[in-house]
Amino acid sequence: MNEIMFIISKIESMMYEVTFDPVKGNGKIITNLSIIDEADFKEVIGFLRQAAHSGLAVSPYIKIIRPGEKIGDVRIEKGKIGIATLCSITIDGVLLKAGVPVKPKFGGVVEIHDGLPLRFTDMLTYDSTTIDPLDVLMSQELTSITEMVNTGSGKILANLREAPMAARERIEQVLDSLIKAGFSCILEVGEPNSDILGVQVGRDKLGIAIIGGTNPMALVQEHGIDINTQEMSLLIDISEMSHIDEIK
Amino acid sequence: MPATTIDSMVQRKLIEILRILYENHHPIGARLIADRMNERGYPIGERGVRYHLRILDERGLTQRQGYDGRVITELGINELNNALVGDRLGFIISRIEKLIYDTTFNLRTGQGNVIINMSIIDKNDIERTMDVVRHVIYSDYPVSPYIKLIEEGTVTSDIRIPEGKVGLATMCSITIDGILMKSGIPVNTKYGGILKVEDRKPVNFEDIIVYNGTTVDPMRIFISKKMTRVLDAVDKGSGRLLANLREIPASALSEARIILESVMQSGIGGIAGIGKPGSPVFDAPVDNGKVGIAVYAGVNAMAAVEESGIQVNTSPISTIIDFRELKKLE
Repeated sequence: MNEIMFIISKIESMMYEVTFDPVKGNGKIITNLSIIDEADFKEVIGFLRQAAHSGLAVSPYIKIIRPGEKIGDVRIEKGKIGIATLCSITIDGVLLKAGVPVKPKFGGVVEIHDGLPLRFTDMLTYDSTTIDPLDVLMSQELTSITEMVNTGSGKILANLREAPMAARERIEQVLDSLIKAGFSCILEVGEPNSDILGVQVGRDKLGIAIIGGTNPMALVQEHGIDINTQEMSLLIDISEMSHIDEIK
Repeated sequence: MPATTIDSMVQRKLIEILRILYENHHPIGARLIADRMNERGYPIGERGVRYHLRILDERGLTQRQGYDGRVITELGINELNNALVGDRLGFIISRIEKLIYDTTFNLRTGQGNVIINMSIIDKNDIERTMDVVRHVIYSDYPVSPYIKLIEEGTVTSDIRIPEGKVGLATMCSITIDGILMKSGIPVNTKYGGILKVEDRKPVNFEDIIVYNGTTVDPMRIFISKKMTRVLDAVDKGSGRLLANLREIPASALSEARIILESVMQSGIGGIAGIGKPGSPVFDAPVDNGKVGIAVYAGVNAMAAVEESGIQVNTSPISTIIDFRELKKLE
């Protein structure tokens, strides 16, 4: 009998594998692997760059996997290109390795108004689904990333984790070092015992809302380009990644 | 909707003040409470605390002791233990529970309200749609044959059919939960899922989503992610159907069996399987002391319509309707 596994189990085992140190700038990170047609490459990179510059990517670092090359268990077919982008669960891994008992709670849709996050409008908790919440929400036509990029208002993918309020200082240190390392994905850090973006947190906890790693892919999808993304699929050493502005 | 209301914020502050008093074994005053509240992320002043203390005093949860000091009462400690249990987010389960409560269908008289799914299709697609629906209903899988066509332009409090469109109401399998509940059996509607079938028999759930962890309906998710293979299941015997799972106490099983038998006969819905106490049903976990009941979803017919390339917008677990308004599709 094959036991049904909720997505939280996969998340926790991936978090355990993260060794990235934002201060030293080395170690393993979690990535999402997207497969596109080789013909769409230029256009897709354009959208990914646009997303990164609008602060809608977890980080501007990506890895291109050319046709015929292999990464993990996946071999990229002829005529296709693989793009690995950072998955936001990497942040949870980094917090965990810094000794913060962090608990990923749910993936959801956040309404942004004039560049400021307002509230979560939809959500799926990680312990209640066997398919990735952001993958689910991406296919529900609930997002408006294009509008967000163009006007500063729209609905984007984000996720929430909780951590004990006692760890607040440590959390702030870690998040600061992540921002210095180019991770511009932190949407909001809540006050202890206070709602974050309209969502309650547990007793003596604080919430941390982070931009979903699949926003750039959702932007590509909103423009009618075929893109097939497998979330949390690969562990890659950060040294193998390059800045999106260096990709030609 | 996970919106914060003023009331829930007041409620949380009241509870937090109770906690502070509970943790302090000596009476403490408003200023000290205000300081502690701020440490815990509640921006509140001394005056604000006094206002909240007055509410707590009136409810008998706190008591004045000495000069402006407060202590928590026995009643206050009880309140603290029970507080915020119902104070959760508006997940799909809230709608399910409301509709289950509104279900009044009586198996003996065959009358009362049932829960429906609402699908909206283009007027021009109606004949093709009915062919597919008939194909699924009269297959080897028990799907309710009761439907209702709703004309364009219909606007009620629950239903809104735009011009050029037609509404198609199908029986929702959650009606069964309503019937069980009204028979006095506590029922917990747990998962929506994708049930793999082989040789026309259910094998295992491939994916499941818990109703109380999502604000988007699981069935809607599976349909729009194109995960169903209803037509394959009907035509070839192997495919993927939509099904859901509810738990009932193991002690209620024998009574539930009689009710479910009668549910099947009256064409309300089709049972895919009943588990053993505390054991998974088609690999979906079930709590100890409970029995899982898997039911084929009423929206399977509409998922098949979508699979055949017709544009459909389906809202599962949509509203309740008088059973008399539904017609058996011949």
